Amino acid sequence: MIKYLIRRFLSAALVMLVVTFLMYVLIDLAIDPLEDLRTSTSPNAAQLMENRIRNLQLDVPSPIRYFWWLTGVGGCLIGQCDLGSSWLTGQAVTSMLQGAILNSVKLVFVATFVSIILGVTVGLVSAIRQYTGFDYAITFITFLLYSLPVFWVAVLLKQYGAIEFNNFLRDPEVNWLALVVISLIAGAFWMGAMGGSGRRRYINLAAGTIVTFALLAFLFGSNWLLQPGIGLIGVTVTSLAAAVLVTHLSTGLHNKRAFYAALTTAVLGGVFYYAMQWFFYFVPANWFIILGLFVVAILVGVGVGFAFGGPDKGASARTAAIVAIIASLLVFVDRNMQVWSNYSNLAQIRGRPIATIGASSPGLQGDFWIQTVDSFTHLLLPSIALVLISFATYTRYSRGSMLEVMNQDYIRTARAKGLTERTVIMRHALRNALLPLASIVPVDIITLIGGAVLTETIFGWAGMGRMFVDSLGKADIDPVMAYILITGILAVVANIVADFVYAILDPRIRVNA
Amino acid sequence: MKRGILTAAAGVAASALLLSACTPPGGGGNEGDGGGGGEVSVMWNQPFYSMNNNTSATNNVTNANVVYMMNDAFKYYDENLELQDNTSFGTVEQVSEDPLKVKYTYSDNAKWSDGTPVDAADLVLAWAARSGNFNTTEDAKRDDEGAVEDAGGDVFFDAAEPGLALIKDFPEISEDGKEITFEYSKPYADWEVNLTVGDSGMPAHIVAKNAIDTEDPEEAKKAVLDAIESKDKGQLAKIAEFWNTGFNMTSMPENEDLLVGSGPMKMTDFSEGQYLTLEARDDYEGDRKPKMSKITIRYNEDPMAAVQALENGEVQLINPQSTADVLQAVEGIDGVENKTADGATYEHVDLTFDNNGPFDPASYGGDEEKAKQVREAFLMSIPRGKIVNDIVKPLNDQAEIRESFTQVPGSPDYDKVVEASGIKNTYGEGNVEEAKKMLEEAGVDEAPKVRLLYAKGNARREQEFQLIKEAADQAGFEVIDNASETWSEELGSGEYDASLFGWQSTSTAVTESDANFRTGGQNNFGGFSNDEVDKLYDELQTETDPARQAEILGEVEKVLVDEGFGITLFQFPEIVAHSDQLQNVKPMTVSPTMFWNFWEWEM
Repeated sequence: MIKYLIRRFLSAALVMLVVTFLMYVLIDLAIDPLEDLRTSTSPNAAQLMENRIRNLQLDVPSPIRYFWWLTGVGGCLIGQCDLGSSWLTGQAVTSMLQGAILNSVKLVFVATFVSIILGVTVGLVSAIRQYTGFDYAITFITFLLYSLPVFWVAVLLKQYGAIEFNNFLRDPEVNWLALVVISLIAGAFWMGAMGGSGRRRYINLAAGTIVTFALLAFLFGSNWLLQPGIGLIGVTVTSLAAAVLVTHLSTGLHNKRAFYAALTTAVLGGVFYYAMQWFFYFVPANWFIILGLFVVAILVGVGVGFAFGGPDKGASARTAAIVAIIASLLVFVDRNMQVWSNYSNLAQIRGRPIATIGASSPGLQGDFWIQTVDSFTHLLLPSIALVLISFATYTRYSRGSMLEVMNQDYIRTARAKGLTERTVIMRHALRNALLPLASIVPVDIITLIGGAVLTETIFGWAGMGRMFVDSLGKADIDPVMAYILITGILAVVANIVADFVYAILDPRIRVNA
Repeated sequence: MKRGILTAAAGVAASALLLSACTPPGGGGNEGDGGGGGEVSVMWNQPFYSMNNNTSATNNVTNANVVYMMNDAFKYYDENLELQDNTSFGTVEQVSEDPLKVKYTYSDNAKWSDGTPVDAADLVLAWAARSGNFNTTEDAKRDDEGAVEDAGGDVFFDAAEPGLALIKDFPEISEDGKEITFEYSKPYADWEVNLTVGDSGMPAHIVAKNAIDTEDPEEAKKAVLDAIESKDKGQLAKIAEFWNTGFNMTSMPENEDLLVGSGPMKMTDFSEGQYLTLEARDDYEGDRKPKMSKITIRYNEDPMAAVQALENGEVQLINPQSTADVLQAVEGIDGVENKTADGATYEHVDLTFDNNGPFDPASYGGDEEKAKQVREAFLMSIPRGKIVNDIVKPLNDQAEIRESFTQVPGSPDYDKVVEASGIKNTYGEGNVEEAKKMLEEAGVDEAPKVRLLYAKGNARREQEFQLIKEAADQAGFEVIDNASETWSEELGSGEYDASLFGWQSTSTAVTESDANFRTGGQNNFGGFSNDEVDKLYDELQTETDPARQAEILGEVEKVLVDEGFGITLFQFPEIVAHSDQLQNVKPMTVSPTMFWNFWEWEM
């Protein structure tokens, strides 16, 4: 095992050396730090040019400069990082990285998780309904989204998601025809996803359409968008619905202990909601408190599951914990919604809450909730843009691997034993279908720290991708090399991690081979 | 079981109703600090990075804009590019013509934001640093990125202004330090813009405090003056090191000293790569008192993002890179005023005189006259009118042909210089028939091959090339597409016969064009050489009378036109768009661009 690790890391180090050397030389060939001086009309341009050549030591061949740079990087091993500095701004690259990495993580974190959850779910359903209209429609839509250029999506999102939406908030006039069309599409989606035949399909279509229409009509027709909220009733009812759904998928509703545990947790969610209103009134929130409360909620869910006891305690605990997560998320979202109208009426916001640029509103002063809502309004559009595009990949992966698993002999065996379809899919097929994803997801998450260049640029986030492209454009080699170094290391590490995760999940694979 | 659920649900609903009767005081409570009116947000493309914008590394308009708002100076440019006095800060006057002596007088209101008066030490430091006269080494040791790391005990200020270098001697300073008189070693045409525009130096006491640990402002000022007067190498080396890089920042600095300014705004927030906030100072005593209480500059380089942010009300003023799409988008927005105007870049075609090409007399056995006729024929064939109509008018319907090599349209001397050069009468809008006749008169045997160098991938220049080629081919030339991605490196290589690119004006200093047209000048890429032009520039260097300066430039341009040096095309338009609630925005072409009258902005 140790030997294997050492071998992997040594080969990774070798790869990094070759990559950085090649990139350094290639970038140096491609950029021209003197470009602006060549067209300068300044009388002393020659002298400035000479100064710069000397400063950047452009008269030294780039392979030699690479080793100078490498010496600074080597300092990182003994805690004295010197990734150089930007010659344009004089700023050390290490300090440039801090802000950039934070912004990239913030931007990409939400988008990645949403697209993994959505993508995998839709992919699985699509696989179960293979070769139906639903499957074809999903395939068509995912490929369509996958091929959309992000700069174009971003412009459209800004136009309709921000500018027009904000206009609507100022002067709410509902386009009922559009609501009907959207509701019908949603109804069709649910009809396809639920499957079944004949009458049941029509019932699903009608139910899906009506529920969606009612929901949209309430959201847009009432004052809800200006003063949103879920409320005690909303939180309790939604948690109860979640309890039913989660139990159905997790253990099946016939497992009474699990079902009651889930329902109890949902009701506790309501109580929790009420208590939290007072709690947040007296205690100024921050992310540590929020995360702490989140952990408490999960523990309560687990506790309730165990309290119902029985031979299958684990399953009950798991089910109740998932419900607890959903309920506490609802409470958190509701608390944010309570400051929405305050936020929207701020002088900086001027009643136009959804933002098109930046990571936050300049000069915004407010408590934790105001800041959180501000982050949300800035994250919304770039996250949607990223989700729309990366969602497709996960859908295709999970559909493919699910189909493969569903055609295995052991699935047929499971069915022949007379297991319910739920058990066959959730317990026997799903787990194995998720295996290949274990090798994709770590790589995806970690490489995402490298940022999303176009999205960052268009939405004005100063992340890693922006730093890379800007520096490249300005012939500033050190920040570019820092980017290549970090994304390179992360990619190599992510691959090693993926191999390990795979080995842990799948006992057939051994890493010390 | 069904009944059980229903009962539970009913119970929940009932208790919910009960509980909601005494709902706790949830949100609503601590909302954000509203802030007053009078706040404006501006979108700019590149983030600010230094409070000292006079080193060769930091001389950038993004720095200049912020420095300009945070500091007062003796003079500023207005929208007509005329120098205006800021008498509340001080005055500048010429006290003697030969030798040239210039007296700077600070008013009593000129104070740094920490209360220290602005005086001689600040101006003398600015001169000492920016002139380069005190550098004891050409070879300052730097780290491999270019920041001066350790001058090794040597003095190295990273700046070189030729005009300031002409001041060799330590100035005369009045008792109270408010009057400073510099003597030039020889007359200098642009004395009026020396140390007067943009900012009038970094705070000497802050530099001294951070460079040589002198806490008391008065002592610090004295230490700086003494160091400069006695050329104290040890002290000056430390001062130079701090002056070069000490003021660099990419987010709010911990050392508040760096934000000391003499102007109406102070920096209150700077988020890396995102935005920078300036607030009006209450204790500012000068004339440029702003009407807005807060100016936020947000950074994003995507032009479309700027337009949409303007439409969404996140910013009120934008200056995006101009293309037809961006212009169309801006025009489609309600409540937005678009002030498209001339920008700082102008396009021109230059010919090569020294490469044995069609424009070099050497190709015709040294027949100067014949080469000149060919040059004139080629320049005549360039459809200047059509280029402006087809390429620039869609972006700016006020666009006109630029008729001067040295003057920005709209600048005070433009009309005078254009008239003197006779460029309009000679070339007009371009005339293919005339060009054809001229080429025939020149008597060349076969169609001259003209290799035209321009930027590959630049759509605008590609269009210009097409129009030029079409017309010149008709006139009897054979224009060869010599587009290159590395065009700027190829300038001066002689591997082309004509070049098409842009010059950017950074000031209205009259000597700026010297390097373009003088024999062997730094920017004279085509090998043009003319004794008369060289003599005129020698005269211009030392001519301090503005009227005579304009005359000289007119004479220079006449030679350029007569000799067929090249031809000017147009000033590239720039979009300045703002919300119609924001009043008094007036675009301007040189730094600090549209910020020049920030104190007049009103909302």
